Amino acid sequence: MSLNMDRVASAFTFKGGMLPMTVMELTSADPEQIRAQLAGKVSQSPAFFQHTPVVLSVEQLDEPHLALERICAVCRAHKLLPVAVRGGTDPVKQSAWALGLGWFPPQEARPRAVEEAPLATAEPQPEAEASSAPAVGRIYRGTVRSGQQVTAPEGDLVVVGAVNPGAEVLAAGSVHVYGPLRGRALGGIHGDRQAGIFCKELHAELLSLAGNYKRLEDIDPRLLNQPVQVQLRDDQLNISSLG
Amino acid sequence: MAKIIVVTSGKGGVGKTTSAAAIATGLALRGNKTVVIDFDVGLRNLDLIMGCERRVVYDLINVIQGEAGLNQALIRDKRTENLHILPASQTRDKEALTPEGVEKVLETLSQEYDFIVCDSPAGIEHGAQLAMYFADEAIVVTNPEVSSVRDSDRILGLLASKTRRAERSEPPVREHLLITRYDPNRVTSGDMLTLEDVREILAINLVGLIPESEAVLRASNQGVPVVHDMDSDAGQAYADTVSRLLGEDVPLRFHEYQKKGLLSRMFGGGRR
Repeated sequence: MSLNMDRVASAFTFKGGMLPMTVMELTSADPEQIRAQLAGKVSQSPAFFQHTPVVLSVEQLDEPHLALERICAVCRAHKLLPVAVRGGTDPVKQSAWALGLGWFPPQEARPRAVEEAPLATAEPQPEAEASSAPAVGRIYRGTVRSGQQVTAPEGDLVVVGAVNPGAEVLAAGSVHVYGPLRGRALGGIHGDRQAGIFCKELHAELLSLAGNYKRLEDIDPRLLNQPVQVQLRDDQLNISSLG
Repeated sequence: MAKIIVVTSGKGGVGKTTSAAAIATGLALRGNKTVVIDFDVGLRNLDLIMGCERRVVYDLINVIQGEAGLNQALIRDKRTENLHILPASQTRDKEALTPEGVEKVLETLSQEYDFIVCDSPAGIEHGAQLAMYFADEAIVVTNPEVSSVRDSDRILGLLASKTRRAERSEPPVREHLLITRYDPNRVTSGDMLTLEDVREILAINLVGLIPESEAVLRASNQGVPVVHDMDSDAGQAYADTVSRLLGEDVPLRFHEYQKKGLLSRMFGGGRR
């Protein structure tokens, strides 16, 4: 919900947002090696390389000085747009700023990620498939009762039954409730702005899509107890009748 | 093997103990060997409602801790054959109630009785969870009021996940809705939720509807379960509830607004 209801039309508003972002974890600092591997990737899934913004992570590199400018050029040549650098030494940070890139501090030490990274580079094919395959959702049959939480960490959540007051249903994708929605429903919990909420009878305590929310008292009373769909439009939840 | 029925609600003061006493008595009056257990350690009330508070020597905790035998702690009801009461401790800590201890007591009682009625404490903590853990059936006592309905909803969620039947993936606990303190006049005036509202949200089988009645308070204070008072609407409603629990098909009563007639207005009669 934006708060700029002032008389003066403001030029912008600042908002916190969680955007899905591709991180390019570099395990080599050699621009030529990166170029060769990128060329292979582009031929595998050209759809991915459409000026896709990426964050260059150099956490796993041990080199104090990087040919950052050349690496960026290689990326751009393959339609990847480096927007920021994560990790690295102070000179790396300075050269990132000099190139007009942002800089993020390194992530907390995560041994799992370190183990997974070499595996992923060794077998690039399944990884590429995973990003294009539809995520598996979850179907829940029965009443979701007060105090219960049903989550679909990937894909859509389908509830065949009622979601009662005090219950919470969450999904990375859309939330579908074939019954009355009386509790809290949160879709797009990882930031998917295409996600929606659909229910047979709207009486939700809270509706949220990709971090934007509406409470029960913000909902037009004419839409209550109606079958509706909820979509995100210009950072506002748009509720429309399905009846 | 006895059928274990827990009487529970989440919210306090909705009529769990009154209902447990009335239903256990009703089951015994119909010839079933019945024992009713008070799980409300520290806030023991069942003995008062059953009118046997002066005969309590040993209690459930004594039995669990091996300080008394089960037969020493069981109190035979004076009015009803086939009915025994196992009181709770008023002085001990709730933590003295262990799952192993409760299981052993229930197993022993199961050999001898047809029905074991467990009167659960309010809340969703240790005591309430233990009272429901071994249940085969649950009677969820609900007042026609939003907070009570929400707490009952919460309890139904626990019944589906935190019981032995749920953990062993056995057939689930059979859930029954018992609506108490129902006042058709206040429902008509919009002060109370309607029967349909409550049923729609909780979405379980309705086993009984007990009207708000002076007879209940009178029965509690006299220590005579209200089901003995068959002249009262509440007594009859509990008797109907017991019949439905035993699988009989009994039409619902006392849920409609009744206009007072001239005579009852003149003589102050009406529903007692």
